[in-house]
Amino acid sequence: MSILLIAEHDGRTLGEASRRAASAARQLGEGYDVLVIGGPGCVGVADAAAGLDGAVQVLLCEDDAYADDLAEPVAERIATLVRDGGYDGVVAAGTSTGKDVMPRVAGLLDVAMVSDAVAVENGRTFIRPIYAGNALARVRCEDVVRVVTVRTSAFDSVAEADTAAPCERLSAGDHPPLSRFVDESLSAGDGPDLANARVVISGGRGLGGAEAFDMLRELAAELGAAVGASRAAVDAGYIANDCQVGQTGKIVAPELYLAVGISGAIQHLAGMKDSRVIAAINRDEEAPIFQVADYALVGDLFEAVPQLLDALRTRQ
Amino acid sequence: MTAYFAPVRELRFVIEELIGLDRVAALPGLEEATPDVVEAVLEEAARLAGEVWSPLNRSGDEAGCRLDETGVHAPAGFREAYQAFVEGGWNGIAADPDWGGQGLPELLACATQEVWNSANMALALCPLLTAGAVLALERHGSDSLKQRFLAPLVSGEWPGTMNLTEPQAGSDLSAINTRAVPEGDHYRITGQKLFITWGDHDMTENIVHLVLARTPDAEAGNRGISMFLVPHRFVDDAGRPGERNDVRCVALEHKLGIHASPTCLLSFGDDGGAVGYLVGEPGRGLHQMFTMMNEARHKVGVQAVGVCERAYQQARDYARERVQGRRPGGSRPAAIIHHPDVRRMLMTMRAGTEAMRALGMLAAAEMDVARRAPDNGDAAAAERRVALLTPLIKGTATELGHELTSLGVQVHGGMGYVEETGAAQYLRDARITTIYEGTTGIQAQDFTLRRVLRDGGETLSAVLDEAEADAAALAERDALAVEGKALRAALDGLRRSTVHLLEHGGEAALAGATPYLMQAGFVLGGWQMGRAAVLADRALEADTPERAFYEAKRATAVFYMRHFLPRADAFGHGVTDDNGATLFLAEEQF
Amino acid sequence: MKVLVTAKRVVDHNVRVRVRPDGSGVDTASVKMSMNPFDEIAVEAAVRLREAGQADEVVVVSIGEKAVTDVIRTALALGADRGIHVDTDAELQPPAVSRALAELAVRETPDLILMGKQAIDDDSNQTAQMLAGRLGWGQGTFACGIEPADGEVIVAREVDGGTRRVALRLPAVVTADLRLNEPRYVKLPDIMKAKRKPLEAMSLADLGVAGDAGLTLLGVSEPPGREPGVRVADAAELAARLRDEAQVI
Repeated sequence: MSILLIAEHDGRTLGEASRRAASAARQLGEGYDVLVIGGPGCVGVADAAAGLDGAVQVLLCEDDAYADDLAEPVAERIATLVRDGGYDGVVAAGTSTGKDVMPRVAGLLDVAMVSDAVAVENGRTFIRPIYAGNALARVRCEDVVRVVTVRTSAFDSVAEADTAAPCERLSAGDHPPLSRFVDESLSAGDGPDLANARVVISGGRGLGGAEAFDMLRELAAELGAAVGASRAAVDAGYIANDCQVGQTGKIVAPELYLAVGISGAIQHLAGMKDSRVIAAINRDEEAPIFQVADYALVGDLFEAVPQLLDALRTRQ
Repeated sequence: MTAYFAPVRELRFVIEELIGLDRVAALPGLEEATPDVVEAVLEEAARLAGEVWSPLNRSGDEAGCRLDETGVHAPAGFREAYQAFVEGGWNGIAADPDWGGQGLPELLACATQEVWNSANMALALCPLLTAGAVLALERHGSDSLKQRFLAPLVSGEWPGTMNLTEPQAGSDLSAINTRAVPEGDHYRITGQKLFITWGDHDMTENIVHLVLARTPDAEAGNRGISMFLVPHRFVDDAGRPGERNDVRCVALEHKLGIHASPTCLLSFGDDGGAVGYLVGEPGRGLHQMFTMMNEARHKVGVQAVGVCERAYQQARDYARERVQGRRPGGSRPAAIIHHPDVRRMLMTMRAGTEAMRALGMLAAAEMDVARRAPDNGDAAAAERRVALLTPLIKGTATELGHELTSLGVQVHGGMGYVEETGAAQYLRDARITTIYEGTTGIQAQDFTLRRVLRDGGETLSAVLDEAEADAAALAERDALAVEGKALRAALDGLRRSTVHLLEHGGEAALAGATPYLMQAGFVLGGWQMGRAAVLADRALEADTPERAFYEAKRATAVFYMRHFLPRADAFGHGVTDDNGATLFLAEEQF
Repeated sequence: MKVLVTAKRVVDHNVRVRVRPDGSGVDTASVKMSMNPFDEIAVEAAVRLREAGQADEVVVVSIGEKAVTDVIRTALALGADRGIHVDTDAELQPPAVSRALAELAVRETPDLILMGKQAIDDDSNQTAQMLAGRLGWGQGTFACGIEPADGEVIVAREVDGGTRRVALRLPAVVTADLRLNEPRYVKLPDIMKAKRKPLEAMSLADLGVAGDAGLTLLGVSEPPGREPGVRVADAAELAARLRDEAQVI
């Protein structure tokens, strides 16, 4: 079976997400090819991709048409490659790009798709969360070509290969001008992005106001963490709504999730319960957040957070 | 405080199956009340109530209202929540389309009233009183008053208030001495009115006060009282509110509950007299006020049901979460909902709430018939039933409201006594419902003397005939034969109490009035639960896909028959076997 | 501009779904159903375009059994002009849904198709992109802003780490993300008006579309529960355990 992995990159570096998606690709078949598609200047990404353990070859397709990650040309080129190359599996990380492009690829190929796989049972059978992670579906892909995005937090990164895979250049396709890039504004914050952060510190209504979030930001800076919030805190206007973690906000699964002053409404739990380690600070020992927490600190967060900060600083 | 989810499926069951939407939708003007409309209306009310009104319930209770030199300020968020209600067209749900209402059945309106009251009882009081003002103005107001005030009252843009009580005139309104002196096309009103709910606030641009006052040459007592409409702010020819009339809130009461609802001491005429307009005929004020009073009594009963539902949801959610002790025979720690006594409390809350809800909705459906039945005889019969059921619901549902919200606290254990959980608020809020719009004692007197004894028990007897047929139908169901017999026995007991009162009358009737009211409320609640059990049993027999719902319905009815009907019997003994005990002591022996 | 907006009927987002004991799926019998929240945002966006004079007709479509007309009525009460119910008892997957919608798009010739970014039941997040691919139209997924311009629509998209704006040539497919707008509450009079708005019914076969079998559901299970946690005495212990035991900081 030949598998094609779509590399996630920003034109310069290969995303960590791709290294994790590569694990899934390996589980789908013996080896996999990596497609690096983007604007001119992606050679560095291709070099990195060549070092992914299990990569058979790297295909580099550089063209202005692909510089802006527009789904229409990218998906069309991928679909053509899959048909021409006789691939029977296409895998990408479930990033915002993967989620944008891959279903379009499936549509062009007229096949079904598996979104957000959290486990690969065999070449055709996958586990994926449904109902915001409140249930897991086991699905078998019956189509000739399997199109899959994976939830990267569920897979480990592949190791670095001993020898680099060979790289081949592909020509660009001829794509109708369906869309064009206008501009973008990426969050200026120094800290990592909420969706990809290794550590997330979230605050809830227990913080009582916008000022208390500064305390969490300080702690986040110390840990290299992103700051998130419960819906209650967002609704109360303590913090911007793009920080919301939960069923209707962002779904995160960091290594460590620290919930501060969050009671743990179901809709919030749905957004973070797959985190590897969960710690919670709350005054109410009955708070539902403690039912999912690995470490529970019952107490006043206004005392505990500064103490935690002290403890972290003195040990380093 | 847990989130509130309106019991839409249950409300639809009561409307569509138990009371019968067909019967109501067959009335002239109500053709649009089809099941899909009922469902959509309930879903949307549930949404606004759950997402906007309910989150303010606790914060409003904590913050309370504030009075300063500019007037009364409602708690944060209330203005927006009320405006969303007005803009959504909810205030005029059952009002006449000619005045901007939606013309939907009272039956459906009653269900939505419960939902608003569950979400936020303090805020729901505002439209509760407006509804009464709409009715009084519609029935008794002159065309010119209607033209100026009815549409904004129907929409809720300008809420209405009821100004009856004065320091010396509480349950006995004949003692009112607020003055109304004629001056051109209007009157000048002077005096103080006590306990005026939502008497002043900043949620809307204007408020319409309906005020009872005496004209200078009026006779003493009830017949000297007239009704006046006093706008809080003067209204120009284009209908825009402007300068404030000579009425202001001079004090806010500090109350046990409903903290977010301002209870005002209103002073009229500190600067020479508030301008007021006569509503209806001079000297008929008290009579006219009772039009709105009766409506309001029914609504207070429904309000109690609403608070009970909310308290039940809170207690149930807590009982599912709180882990304490072990299941009987179990070894692992268990959520307290697994403890039989907690089950008993939850079942009591659930069964009592369902029974009172059904009675309240039954009365609402009778209001629709009374208002719209083409046949005068049908309308008059329905009117008599409304009059019979109104004090019954007001009295019984509110007394149960107190009991069931108290059980809600009990389920929480120590945490229930702590304000944080929100359980205590429902108990404090519900406490007023047995008092305002006429205490339980007043309801009992009205029910016993005016609704039963005055027509020799005829209206009640007709209801009991119907209930007996339903009890027989219940007894015919294999699984419910015992309950059918129990219901029949309870109906017989109510007849015995009625006969006893008809034979004895006088002081004995007054001493037995409240037990009699409670007996009647519990028994007729059982009548509706019995009917629900039959419907549920049939649905289960027909292999309904909603098995869980109907099983719960039937089981709750069974619980009611076994736990509430014996209490009805006990109340009955209070009526028939008092033997002078209540009135035996002389005053000085107390 | 004519807007076609889609609405799926799903288990209400407040319902805690339970997996059936036999693992064949989740229990949806007598569970409250509602319009998919992201679709509601899409409907709101469409209605706002109409109110701003940028769209002159909003058509709402839902696919499924008779009961889905509930969500169509809700969309009509929110302000859509007419509804289309594509009747089928089959549980369709995104490929078949996108085929049916593509066929409808050919018939209705909308300038813009607005959809929720994903349905909260299967969480697939596929149908709109598949549809756009089939039609050969531009796509603007995860929209947090929509501005129609001359022959185009400028879509602000939520992407990892920020927002990015793209201009799509019309006709195009756009999917709504959470922050695109806050849907209004339905007004009581509009519920009554919605009853009188046209609602056309057609079968899936009328559109020449069959069901699909690309994915076979083998079973549904509960997600694994977490091991019970430990209670720590103070912040110092928490820091120590996170560092030494869990090794996450």
